[in-house]
Parts: sequence; structure tokens; C-alpha cells
Amino acid sequence: MNIFLRELKANLKSLLIWCGVILLMVLVGAAKFSAYYNDASMLAILDSFPDAILDAMSIRAFNLTTLSGFFGLMFIYFALMGGIAAAMWGSDSISKEERDKTVEFSLALPVSRSRVVTAKMLAALVNSIVFVLVTWGGSLAAARPYNPDQAFYNYLRLEMTAMFMIELIFLALGLLLGCAMKRYKLSGSTAVWIILTTYFLSVAASLQKDLDFLKYFSPFKYFDAAELFREMKLDATYLLISAGIIFVCVAAAYWTYNRRDLYI
Amino acid sequence: MSATIFVHEFRARLKSVIIWSASLTALVIFLFSIYPSFSEEAALIQQMMSRFPPALLEAFGMNKLDLSSLLGFFGFLFVFVQLCLAIQAGNYGFGLVSIEESELTADFLLSKPVSRTQALASKLLAALSSLLLTELVIWADTYITIGLFGGGREYSASTLILILVSMTILQLFFLSVGLVISLLVRRVRNVTPYSLGLGFGTYVLAAFSGILGEAKLEYITPFKHLDPSYIIKNGAYDTPLALINGAVTLIALGVSYWRYIRRDIPAVS
Repeated sequence: MNIFLRELKANLKSLLIWCGVILLMVLVGAAKFSAYYNDASMLAILDSFPDAILDAMSIRAFNLTTLSGFFGLMFIYFALMGGIAAAMWGSDSISKEERDKTVEFSLALPVSRSRVVTAKMLAALVNSIVFVLVTWGGSLAAARPYNPDQAFYNYLRLEMTAMFMIELIFLALGLLLGCAMKRYKLSGSTAVWIILTTYFLSVAASLQKDLDFLKYFSPFKYFDAAELFREMKLDATYLLISAGIIFVCVAAAYWTYNRRDLYI
Repeated sequence: MSATIFVHEFRARLKSVIIWSASLTALVIFLFSIYPSFSEEAALIQQMMSRFPPALLEAFGMNKLDLSSLLGFFGFLFVFVQLCLAIQAGNYGFGLVSIEESELTADFLLSKPVSRTQALASKLLAALSSLLLTELVIWADTYITIGLFGGGREYSASTLILILVSMTILQLFFLSVGLVISLLVRRVRNVTPYSLGLGFGTYVLAAFSGILGEAKLEYITPFKHLDPSYIIKNGAYDTPLALINGAVTLIALGVSYWRYIRRDIPAVS
């Protein structure tokens, strides 16, 4: 419990900065969105197209004249920021002890290593939850002036659940890297590499149909804004894959941390 | 300028340079290898889109680049290269002097018979050479990749050079801004969150202002200062924005020197 609270306090500043940044992003986005909202000329153009074309090009999912379309566009940024923040919290909370030369102290406490990892993981988890809730709250506040309907609320809830899943995946991954990497300095940058690579993979997968199989390697593709909009639910296969990744990473994190030789 | 410091710094970064160059090479080859098959589809889409009203295209951000043209596609993937280059330069900038402090080697360095100005200059030059080496690899890689997958299509050679030169300007920006921020804050514990925040933050701002049409965000994000789609469209840099970029770089370097010479450096106790 003490470690958990200590950890929460240590992460507070970083959490506040991330929340500030994402609120700013929502704010700036919403200000720009007001220019497009219900723009009559654009609506007329959209109406003149056959439904098939609109669906094929995902235009409806990203229709900037509607609230849902606007938040569909925003989703990839939410996902990226959530992923990076969670990976940082996960890896940094473990590796910073070695960097700041405090690892001897915390492991000399009368708690097992597993409990230390648990406390740190829970603290990072709380951060991730707060981050999603702040994003959600900010989005709701930004959407309020446009009198959103129930469908929008449902879609936003879906997006936020997806963002939370992405956070969980990268949190587990960051935790594993922090626990497993011998050179503590590299855990943060490795996490970044993985996020960037998976992001680029998701871009490539959407460019080219032949590369479609890449989507299994990129969490950003597990939860695709256009797909969410069409289906209005999270894909069960991807949820299972995500749960699998999270479970394996967390289990491996405990396993390696209990066995590792620490850098002092 | 001290050769010893330069060589030491350059060597310390060599492994990182190799990793970055290799990954960026792979990224360019991988993304550009999609081009041959993509260009045919894209040409169809482009044809269809040319019938759409410009207002609609603008709203969906589809008027920026013609992805069926060679440079258009290269510009599209180059944005991702820029993002990586920015993070690399940010890493070197934030770490340039702060690593000495976090690893408690700062007082060793400063006890050497070189002035702080000299030490900083040598370090900066070493970091700059590392960045230039990475860029050189990308230059070569770009020409080889275009030769392999370009299918002999025509493109403007001078525009491509402009795009590739913009790498140096972008990296200088992130190197010096990273350095000045690391000297303005009290202590940099871990370089990655800083460089990532700076790189990704400005990237998201740029992508954002792209989606949402004309925005004043352009002035603060270096990715817009050197926007490849602008360069491709006009065959030149956006002069005022590029000048802002250069000015910020110079100011950041100046302030860095000023701060570093006066900096109170904690000694090992």
C-alpha cells in the first residue's frame, strides 16, 4: 500500500502534464470542428453520393459535419497518446529505481519483489484509468454545445473503451520491458520503438490490401475508428488477442523480475 | 573545439546512429515497396476524386498529396521519417549535457583543461556529425529505393533534394531546442519522455492542423515549417515558416551557450 501511494505521488506530475496536453488537443480540435459542423454545402455534397462509395471510402465514419465523424478522426491521436503514456508509466516505474539508485532500498523492504511489481503496476493502472476518464470528460464537455444524441454517446463510450484497451496493452508491455531489460536505460526507448513500429504497421496495413495481415501485429489496428463506427461494438477476436498479450506480458514481467540480477 | 571530446562523444553515439539508420532505412524501403501496387489503385481514386468539389477534398484532407505520383507517395511516407528523425535529434539534444549530470560525470568533464564553451561546441559538433551520418544513409537509401521500386517514373530531382535537405534543418531544430530545454529545467532524469513528448507533440499538432484546414498551429510545429506536401506542391520551402524555424534554432543555441556557461553543476558527493 505504501509503495502504491508513493508511486502514485511520484507519477502525479507526469499524469497532470499528459491530461493537460490531451485536454488542450480536444479543445483545439473542438474549436476547429465548429467551422465544419452541419456545414450545409458539404452535407449537400455528401447526400449526392451513393451509399456504396461513402462506405468504401470510410467517408461516413470520418464525416466532419457530425460529432461522431469528428471523434472518429480524433481517435488515432487518443490511442497514440494513451499508448505512449501508458508504456512510459509502465516501464519507467520499474526502471527508475535502478536509474536513481534506489532499487536496493525498495527491495530491502519487507515485501516480496512480486508485491513491489504489483504495487507499481496498480499505480500505473490508476494513472491510465484517470487519463481515459479525463479524455472522456473533456470530450463530453467539448461535445455538449452540439446537443449530441444517444448514438454519439454510445460511440464515444466505445472509443474510450478501445483507448483503455490500447493503454492496457502498452502498459503491460512497458512493465515487461522495465522488468526484463538488463540495461535499464533502454527500456523506455525500446517501448517507444515498439509503439512507433506498430503505428507504422497500422498505416501500412491500411494502405495496401496485401499487407492486411499486418493488422494482427498492431494494436492500433485492433481498434480501428472506422470499423468501430460501422460495427458499433468491439471485435471479439481482437479483444481476445489483446487479453492474451496483456496476460503474457504481465506474467513474464513477474517471472523475470523475481529472477533478475539488479544493477546497483 | 577539443578533438578528444569530439571523438569520445561521436563514438558513444555510434551504436545509436547505426540502429537509427538501419531502422529508418528499413522503414523507407518497407513503406515505399508498397508504391508500385498502390500507385495503380491510387491513380483510379485520384481520377474519381478529381470530380469531387475542392471544398469536400479539403475537409477530408485529400487535396494535399497526389499519392499516385512518385514524389507524392514519398512525401506521404517522409512524414513518418521526419517523426523518427525528430525523436532521434531530440534524444541527442536533451541528452547532450544532461547525461553527464545524471551519470555523475559532469565534474570530471569540467575539470579538464577545456573551457565550457569548447566542451559544448565539441559535443554539439559530435552530435551534429552523428545526425548527418544518419541523414547520409537515408539519402543513399532514398535513391536506391526509388531506383528499385519507382518503376522509372518521372519526378522532379530538385524537389527531392529539397525534401532531403529539410532533414538537416529539422534535426538541427530538435537538437537545439532539446538542448535548450534540458538546460532550462532543473534536472533531466530520463531523456526519452522529453524527446518523445517534444517530437510526438509537435507531430500531432501538425497532423491536426492538416486535418482541420487552415490553422494557426503552423507557426509552432516544425513539421509544418518543413511540410513535405508544401515542398512538393510548390517546389520550394515555405520561406517565412522556414525562417521561423531557423530563427528558433539559432536562439535556442544562443540561449544554450549562455545557460551552460553559467550553469551550477552538482558534483559527486
